[in-house]
Amino acid sequence: MKRFLIYTIKIIVVAIFIAVALDGIYTAIFMQSKNRGKIETVFNSKAKNYDVVILGSSRANNHFVSQMFEDKGLKTFNYGMSGGHLFEASLMLKLMIERKYDIKNVILESDLNLSSDHEAEGIAALFLPYIHNSGVIKKHFSNQENFNELYYIPFYRYIKYDAKIGIRETFFTTIHKKTTALDNLGYYPLEKHKNGNMKNNITNLNPLKHNKYYEEIKNICKANHINFIPIMTPMCENVVGMNYFDKVKKTYPEIHNYENVVVENKYFSSCGHMTDQGAKIFTARIIKDFFKK
Amino acid sequence: MFFNSLAFAIFLPIVFFLYWFVFNKTKSTQNALLIIASYYFYSCWDWRFLFLLVFSTFLDYYTGIQIEKGKSERSRKFWFWLSILVNLGFLGIFKYYNFFASSFADLLNSTGLKASPILLNVILPVGISFYTFHGLSYVIDIYYKRIKAEYNFVDYSLFVSYFPLLVAGPIERATHLLPQVKVKREFDFEKAKEGICQIVWGLVKKVVIADTCATYANAIFDNYTGMNSFSLILGAIYFAFQIYGDFSGYSDIALGVSKLFGLDLLRNFNYPYFSRDIAEFWRRWHISLSSWFRDYLYIPLGGSKGGIWMKIRNTFIIFVVSGFWHGANWTYIVWGFINAVYFLPLLLSDSNRKNMDAIVLKWNFDSAKVLLSILYTFLLTCVAWVFFRARTITDAVLYLKRIFTNREFNFQYLQNERYNYELLLMIGVFVLVEWNNRNKVEPLSGKRNMLKLALAITAIIAFGTFSDYKEFIYFQF
Repeated sequence: MKRFLIYTIKIIVVAIFIAVALDGIYTAIFMQSKNRGKIETVFNSKAKNYDVVILGSSRANNHFVSQMFEDKGLKTFNYGMSGGHLFEASLMLKLMIERKYDIKNVILESDLNLSSDHEAEGIAALFLPYIHNSGVIKKHFSNQENFNELYYIPFYRYIKYDAKIGIRETFFTTIHKKTTALDNLGYYPLEKHKNGNMKNNITNLNPLKHNKYYEEIKNICKANHINFIPIMTPMCENVVGMNYFDKVKKTYPEIHNYENVVVENKYFSSCGHMTDQGAKIFTARIIKDFFKK
Repeated sequence: MFFNSLAFAIFLPIVFFLYWFVFNKTKSTQNALLIIASYYFYSCWDWRFLFLLVFSTFLDYYTGIQIEKGKSERSRKFWFWLSILVNLGFLGIFKYYNFFASSFADLLNSTGLKASPILLNVILPVGISFYTFHGLSYVIDIYYKRIKAEYNFVDYSLFVSYFPLLVAGPIERATHLLPQVKVKREFDFEKAKEGICQIVWGLVKKVVIADTCATYANAIFDNYTGMNSFSLILGAIYFAFQIYGDFSGYSDIALGVSKLFGLDLLRNFNYPYFSRDIAEFWRRWHISLSSWFRDYLYIPLGGSKGGIWMKIRNTFIIFVVSGFWHGANWTYIVWGFINAVYFLPLLLSDSNRKNMDAIVLKWNFDSAKVLLSILYTFLLTCVAWVFFRARTITDAVLYLKRIFTNREFNFQYLQNERYNYELLLMIGVFVLVEWNNRNKVEPLSGKRNMLKLALAITAIIAFGTFSDYKEFIYFQF
């Protein structure tokens, strides 16, 4: 039995050693990531100056045409992330502040995402390789249920989110395989889809009375003298009559309602996402309303 | 509680410690602990079904004794059939009732008669197909006087409910396991070491091979109408490795865990994809089930004795029943039927036992023929697996048809955000490792054991699929 216990302990030690080594290797690889995604790029960047930074989910990523801001002489980048919630948008802004970005305006897409203050696992995972190298990331995750496992167990975060930061992503990061995330200054244009889903029932969706991360973004902007522009972006014809946007306006009167700037289905790729054409109409209106020089 | 879960990683060392350090005085204390652990393990799935398990155990225990004690043939027959009918009755109600009721209603509806079946809203108790078969083999063996009835209820219960084999086999025989639980187990370092190696290799098969293949196979099978021929072929191959990795991985873990307690279970897989014909495949795939059907169905039906029609009938019966055992769906029945069609030419030409020897390859024409026959057998099994995996027979037929009609062999981006070809290298490495170790139970034991274990652990944590978690496929049977 003694031999067996020694044998088992050896295996456990080997397993721990492998986990620590892999953790170190993976983290080192992510630390030099350049052209994979927005989070990695911000983390590995130094102080930048922006006139406009756009934050939010895919409804920010697909709706704000960064180039149109640039054409007006506004240095802009769209940091909207498909699938992201306000949890990630807030952390992204904190990371920029930690990197000493000088930002004049933050446009925050704040509409459907106000209904949740949970993390979006798939996007939040992309911050985790840096949890030991960034105070704000560590702090931001510290209230999460599984923080201790993610922070203290070597390689656990890479196992838990292997689809996002596992071997495949590590390999592509190693060879610097480019993605389209950073193209078009972060804006991702959509095309009209023949079978695009034009139904989205948001009747029972309710904005949280006090969305922690929305308030956090607002406060960060205030503390750093950034002009905060929260905006509700358009949805397709089908949601007309569902009063979600009214509920948002009631709870957060400061959020600008642009729900009806574009309504015709021909400008939508799916109910919650405009086509490039729709996005351009919408962006033109935003620029006109907020950045008229 | 899955074998690859954190809960099991805590449960196993606790039971191991108690077994060898606290309850190690006699075989009775050892068995009592294993029974308690097994019932706890089972109740983690759904405690309500524990009653069914205990009832089924008690029924077979009691009827076994009554059969042995029976003075008249009539009395023996009564207890024998009581056990058979109640066991199959439970299986029928929980697993097959809804299938028969809806199939019967469909039949009536197709003839113009309107029928709406009364369906039962019941969950299939996990492992019912396995523990029912344990009990059946035990009672049948007593009836035919092959074994003596077990009078110690704890020992018998352990034979039926032993946690490593409880939910997905291997399907044990009383002749194999009961004699082991009747004696006190002494700790054997070499056996325990083998157990650890088998557990680790089982985990490699499950989380590295099966679960990774599953994400690709699902992306292809669930969207087969938009897939090209290349993706569809790969989908069938990925599923073949998914089900192999999943089930043989489970079996390896079960056998390995059992070795830690000093008990050997029946080997369930013997590198089935290196088979040279379908008969050999069935001697290597889910061995405990194949041999169960051979001994308790095929041979009693007359086996391969008798005329040609008898052989054909018996072959189709065991394959179709075997398919049906997997689940109440026509796809499983067709899967069994296809395997019978594959098997029949070998049986009729009396060549079903020609590949009994170990495979040895040399640089000659015969070896090339062997390799081709292995590939051909694998191809046949992949075609059959399409029926096993598809939701309906129509889906399976359309899937196969599309392979031939689409004729596009490009790389395709799948719904799991991966390219269709990406797994081929990993599968290739896995096949090479298994091929080089095909004469061993698993590849990790032997020389450089610690290095091989380190590589396997690295593979598990670096290449395993954890986020898209999948339970073991055979739990549903």
